[in-house]
Amino acid sequence: MSTNAHVRLSVIAVVVVGLFSAMFARLWYLQVLDSNSFIAAASANEIRFVHTEAPRGEIRDRRGRPLVVNKRVEAITVDLAVLAGHPDRNEVLGRLATLLEIGRPELDKRLADLRHSRFRPVPVAEAVPEHKVTYLAEHRTDFPGVQSAIIAQRSYPNGSIASHLLGYVLEISAEKLQERKAEGYRLGDAIGQSGIELVHERDLRGVAGVTKLQVDAKGRVLSTLDHQPPVAGHDVHLTIDLEVQRLAEESLLQGLEVARGLRDNEEGRPFVAPAGAVVVLDPSDGSVLAMASYPTYDPSEFVAGLPPERYRELVDDTKGAALTNRAIQSGYAPGSTFKLVTAAAATERGMVDPRTTITDRGSFTIPSCRGEQCTKRNAGGAAYGSVNLSRSLTVSSDVYFYDLGARFWLEKGVEDGMQDTAKAYGLGSRTGISLPSERPGLIPDPDLKKRRHAENPVAFPEGTWQTGDSVNMAIGQGDVLVTPLQLASTYATFGNGGSVFRPRVAARVVDRQGNTVREEPAAKVRTVEVSPAVDEAIRDGLRGVVADREGTARTAFAGYSAMSVAGKTGTAQVTSKQDSAIFAAFAPVNAPRYAIAVVMEESGFGGAVAAPVARRIFEGVGGQQPGSVFAGDGFD
Amino acid sequence: MAGATMTRQFGPGLAARRRAATAWRHVDIALVVSVLTCVSLGLVMIYSSTRTRLAEQGTDPAFYLKRQAAFVVVGVVVMAVTALVDYRVLQNRAPLVYGAMVLALLAVLSPLGVERKGQQASFELAGFQLQPSELAKVGLIVVLAAYGSLHGADLNWERVGVAVGLAAVPVALIYLQPDLGTSLVFLVILLGILLVAGAKGRHLLALLALGVVPVVAVVQLNVLQDYQLDRLTSFLDPQNDTRRAAYNLNQSKTAIGSGGVLGKGLFAGTQTNLSYVPEQHTDFIFTAVGEQLGLVGSGLLLAVYGLLAWRVWRAAALARDLFGSLICVGVLSMFVFQVFENVGMTMGIMPITGIPLPFLSYGGSSTLAAFAAVGLVLNVRMRRFA
Repeated sequence: MSTNAHVRLSVIAVVVVGLFSAMFARLWYLQVLDSNSFIAAASANEIRFVHTEAPRGEIRDRRGRPLVVNKRVEAITVDLAVLAGHPDRNEVLGRLATLLEIGRPELDKRLADLRHSRFRPVPVAEAVPEHKVTYLAEHRTDFPGVQSAIIAQRSYPNGSIASHLLGYVLEISAEKLQERKAEGYRLGDAIGQSGIELVHERDLRGVAGVTKLQVDAKGRVLSTLDHQPPVAGHDVHLTIDLEVQRLAEESLLQGLEVARGLRDNEEGRPFVAPAGAVVVLDPSDGSVLAMASYPTYDPSEFVAGLPPERYRELVDDTKGAALTNRAIQSGYAPGSTFKLVTAAAATERGMVDPRTTITDRGSFTIPSCRGEQCTKRNAGGAAYGSVNLSRSLTVSSDVYFYDLGARFWLEKGVEDGMQDTAKAYGLGSRTGISLPSERPGLIPDPDLKKRRHAENPVAFPEGTWQTGDSVNMAIGQGDVLVTPLQLASTYATFGNGGSVFRPRVAARVVDRQGNTVREEPAAKVRTVEVSPAVDEAIRDGLRGVVADREGTARTAFAGYSAMSVAGKTGTAQVTSKQDSAIFAAFAPVNAPRYAIAVVMEESGFGGAVAAPVARRIFEGVGGQQPGSVFAGDGFD
Repeated sequence: MAGATMTRQFGPGLAARRRAATAWRHVDIALVVSVLTCVSLGLVMIYSSTRTRLAEQGTDPAFYLKRQAAFVVVGVVVMAVTALVDYRVLQNRAPLVYGAMVLALLAVLSPLGVERKGQQASFELAGFQLQPSELAKVGLIVVLAAYGSLHGADLNWERVGVAVGLAAVPVALIYLQPDLGTSLVFLVILLGILLVAGAKGRHLLALLALGVVPVVAVVQLNVLQDYQLDRLTSFLDPQNDTRRAAYNLNQSKTAIGSGGVLGKGLFAGTQTNLSYVPEQHTDFIFTAVGEQLGLVGSGLLLAVYGLLAWRVWRAAALARDLFGSLICVGVLSMFVFQVFENVGMTMGIMPITGIPLPFLSYGGSSTLAAFAAVGLVLNVRMRRFA
């Protein structure tokens, strides 16, 4: 060969070496420099995770009776992997749509639902009637890939009982999913929306199961690499007693019906009696035995997802706001039931000796006040004559308390007396019960009045606290607001000798095997000191309310023979509404095991309709066959 | 046997047999070993890439392995036969080779050929597909080497034009199948042989401008912009729809990159064993090597190809005449381009075209053609003193 040819061959050699160098360089880049990103991409290709939601924990009452459980319902699922390659795919789906009576577009929509992993059969219908499930089983060859499966649904064996307290679950919303993604929530997961379901979400939820699958390029599952079964959520045992709860709800409902049969004194209109609440506490530790709110709702409505218009109806104030738990989320003027606080405040500050009597002539004129509004009268215009502390409570003498109220403002050093005692009993601030959206209520004072006026002079034209404000406050009017739970807790505190407990509704958290995971112990917040003489006088007066022939709840408790009761009626005026009927009590008088607050909106006198509701509950828990609620004739 | 008749034409049998026996002593063992290394690895990777899918279909998981093993056995025989007969007999018979080649390429476009995957490229013979375009590569090498050696070191425009014309006919026929990749191989063979045969720089520049510049442009853009690559390759190769091409390239790079230095282990490649990479036992077989055997395995494979290229280049340099030298240069151009295009495609530095990786990819015709090509090179080298 010529030299020329050799030179040309060298050129070829250079080109070849260049090409091989390029390949090595590229190989180095892919397999060494950038390898990690490709490793990640390859594993993302190949690995799929399928999550199985854990069975949610159950909610039980203090004796273990079920309040919320999981019902197993028949669902129809479609295995897309089987159907994908099937020649009759279209026909099968058509047949299925006809059988389920949902139409083909709807079926396709459900199949495409992103909440479901496509590596697991997709549920297309829940709670399917049994005959259709049977039909599917008998015609299996016509429905390849279609199966029936059992899925868990929230179920309420007692209907709407305790619905406000228990709350409900819904599928997690898009916003909430963003918020709580870090906690492992995924599209389609259930999440507690209110009540115990919300507060104990972490206990009830459990841990989702994860199956790690290896899939090929066509999405076919090749093997299961790892499987962690779901861990069921814990059960929550409540302090609620199902029987007491049912008794409270029934009694409240009856009481409201009775009220609707009565007419008010001013215009003679029947009472509207649209709503109310009952709280039953154990005064020895603040446990909630029952918490009723009316109107109520059926939590099973939420199981299949609630239509938006129905939800709007349930929260609409003009339609009763059924989702509101009035026992903790509504503030009411306590009326005469507040006199317990006024009495304790005045006696503890030495303003009045329990034995001291005043003369009740039926009216009271606010000192240094001129005009029509300055003279206040007892309800019904009664004059009780010589009244000491006990009798003032028994007959509900407003004049006795008007006098005390005025003195709180006019005498030195006791200006904040009523407020301080009210706050010591826990009024004006949240009790701290572990339920969502509790209201603090309101105990007004001069500062608040000034502040409100400064912020909104139109709504609050008066900015200065006056004697009349203290006079009104003494009988639980004015701006005083308490929740039914606070009212029950106040009477429980007085009844147990002064221990303020944080009310509790959950007793303990229990795992699936029955082992206690966590106790929710009673928590004593503080003690309110009441001297023995004062305690005796007030207790006597409250006992007289139901037992004395002068008592405002005497007729409501006529024929009552269960445990001894100390209570107080209240009738609160509400602007542009009919009076609220209120009754608060504890029993037995000297070692109370029950404290009850009954509040009924636009229902008239507490002694007429609220006390009978409480009576029926005391009968039930006291071993007496509870009768029907009937109207008493008390004037307060 | 064809060989026997040809030897007889060259005179007394005894002398020829003695020459042949002497020639066998100069067989390039290194070249043979590098080829056998490649086909052995190829068999393993073909099995690894197909067994899962075949088992799923309920067929013999070793189906492709067995067929390829048969091709290799036949290929070794073809290589031996090609090496046996003195290559110089081909110089005069080049027109015959050319005629047969063009005839076969025409026939395959007629109803005699069968269409598979949108390409009219093969004959159906007893369950095997014979692709004349693969064998035509070797045919063109012989024809162009013969023409080049005829006018050695004295190429003018006219003679370069004739060479281009000789190549253009099969290229056009193959482009009609359509098979862009194989057409490109023909152009590269032409370029390599013309270069060593003595074409002037201007001749080659003109050729480049004519056919290679667009290809190079594609390659350049390809490196820069992924979406341009997709658009241009799909323009060049209408059989590929763009999204599929991008997906394939992505999966291919992922397979190789995720292999890392040591690889995921034989049969343990998730990308190549779980069908993420397309055509993995044929055009994308290099991804299986890259993923399962890592940089070590794929680097060694490239090194073996480098050894093979060096032995072929060495044969070109040692050849006793220009014809032999040009044959080796043609074979070298063919192998190096196919390796670079195929491996480069799987790594994303060359456009995706359907060119098999010599000795690795599954396929009867390409394997036989590659063995025949190596047989020619062995032939040239072992007769360098004769």
